[in-house]
Amino acid sequence: MSYFSLILKNPFRNKTRSALAIVGIAVGIATIVALGLVTGGLKAATSETLKAGGSDLTVTEANSNFMSGTIDEARVNELSDISGVKNAAGVLRKTPTINNPVKGGFGSFSVNGIPRDKISVVDIDSVEGAMFSSGSKEIILGKTAAESLEKKVGDSINLFGESFTITGIFETGNIMYDGAAFTSLDTLQNITNSQGEVSTIYVQVYDDTNLTELSQNIEATYPNELTASSASALSDRINEGLGIIDSATWAISLLAIFIGGVGVVNTMIMSIYERTREIGVLKAVGWRSRRILGMIMGESIVLTLIAAVVGTVLGILAAEAGLSLLSGKISPAYSLDVFVRGFLVAILVGVLGGIYPAYRASRLPPTEALRYE
Amino acid sequence: MNKPIIQIKDLKKRYDHGKITALNGLNLNIKRGEFVSIMGPSGSGKSTLLNMIGALDTPDSGQIMVNGIDLTVKKDLSQFRSQEIGFVFQMHNLIPNLNVLENVKIPMLEGNLNSKQMENRVMGLLKAVGLEDKIRQTPNKLSGGERQRVAIARALVNHPSIILADEPTGSLDSKTGDIILKLLRNLHEQENVTLVMVTHEPYVAKMADRIVYVLDGRVSKKGEQMLGPV
Repeated sequence: MSYFSLILKNPFRNKTRSALAIVGIAVGIATIVALGLVTGGLKAATSETLKAGGSDLTVTEANSNFMSGTIDEARVNELSDISGVKNAAGVLRKTPTINNPVKGGFGSFSVNGIPRDKISVVDIDSVEGAMFSSGSKEIILGKTAAESLEKKVGDSINLFGESFTITGIFETGNIMYDGAAFTSLDTLQNITNSQGEVSTIYVQVYDDTNLTELSQNIEATYPNELTASSASALSDRINEGLGIIDSATWAISLLAIFIGGVGVVNTMIMSIYERTREIGVLKAVGWRSRRILGMIMGESIVLTLIAAVVGTVLGILAAEAGLSLLSGKISPAYSLDVFVRGFLVAILVGVLGGIYPAYRASRLPPTEALRYE
Repeated sequence: MNKPIIQIKDLKKRYDHGKITALNGLNLNIKRGEFVSIMGPSGSGKSTLLNMIGALDTPDSGQIMVNGIDLTVKKDLSQFRSQEIGFVFQMHNLIPNLNVLENVKIPMLEGNLNSKQMENRVMGLLKAVGLEDKIRQTPNKLSGGERQRVAIARALVNHPSIILADEPTGSLDSKTGDIILKLLRNLHEQENVTLVMVTHEPYVAKMADRIVYVLDGRVSKKGEQMLGPV
């Protein structure tokens, strides 16, 4: 037996109490790990989605949500004429009411209207079955949407009160598109009373075009009307939103840690109360105060490190289970950073939770400790 | 048995903001290798005296020298206790989750011996107290007498100069108490260690080389005469 083996042994003298303290901290650590993995996964998925798109620039209504703005369709041709622009496609995005929501998509199921000849702008190169025809009530479904809606080529689907024939199923690897449907722009405009409107304009540029200059040019030409974002800028904007989730993660974690920390203090205080005579004996046999302080601090850190291991496992399970239930396409982003954060927080809780009990134990007068009943 | 190992001069200690006088100018010398019993009624100051000698408590005034160390000026009293003193308490005070071997080893964790050296010393002592076959037992599996024997081995493990025993047989039946006293006396002789024992029992006290009677915080010659010769 050494000093360190004693530190490892002591926390398990009261197994129930220690287990409860470990669970308390583990919940906090699991929250940190799970939310870290999920937000990391969302960021990675967003970035992949934006990179997977065939356009270089996305033009949306100024000061509007990325998904819900309205732009005059005439702007599509005007943008096509700007120097450096190779191709521009207006896409109208509408969200129909359907009975079974699409799992694995990016937000709710949307129907996108796009000119038949511009479909490559959204990276749909091949279709199982056939492409929709212009002006028809034909539609193609992303693979995720088709699986979720249990539809196959040749089936019909009722959208916006109209029956559409599914002519093809496509897969792009982009979770936003694969969870959606595409049809002819004029068809969607007609049935949703959105003639002359699009939601987004996707712009493809020549290789030598400066994207920043082009964005500035578009925004200067249409002040307070259009916003142009490159895929990376859009990714940054979305990551900013996810950053808020990150902050919320920290707030939730801190709360969990505070509760867990109080649990550690309580556990260690109870432990030193029960072992008051024993601490008196240790002092009587010559143990220095700082050795007793180190022992209690060590016991506290042992508790929280075990909690970190349990919490990390729980966090991974929660993230995997949560993401597979919500969306089969997004996987947790495993990074050392998330696990290091969990363990650092655990050690911090161990140190902060152990300081007071350890200080009290080390300052106990030996004669009083030995008299303690 | 020559030069005093413990020299106490005019030792005073009060508690409860001066309302209770525990030691009131106590003077006492104990020679190296001596076995001294301290007797006295409850509240006479005998346990306080033992705590002072063991550096568990500090006096308000007076001087206490133990093995040449002035405890009123010594800063690191933990080191002093580790090297010079072995305690045996009435209630053995063993650590419940540690086995016999580990309990005896506990005081050695402050020292610099390696694991093998520690084990050799502990095993030697456990053999001396007759517990070499129970080294893996935890205290709850031992009888009262066996627990006290573990406590005696623990007190001797760091080769102390002095063993301070506070009613070591107080919680034992008379037969077991006798065995423990004989063991303490034998080890005191074998290890050439000074033994200071607080007791209420005159027949226990008479096993010592000398009886010191403490009354009202002072050594009382009257009490010693009352007890008769050892």
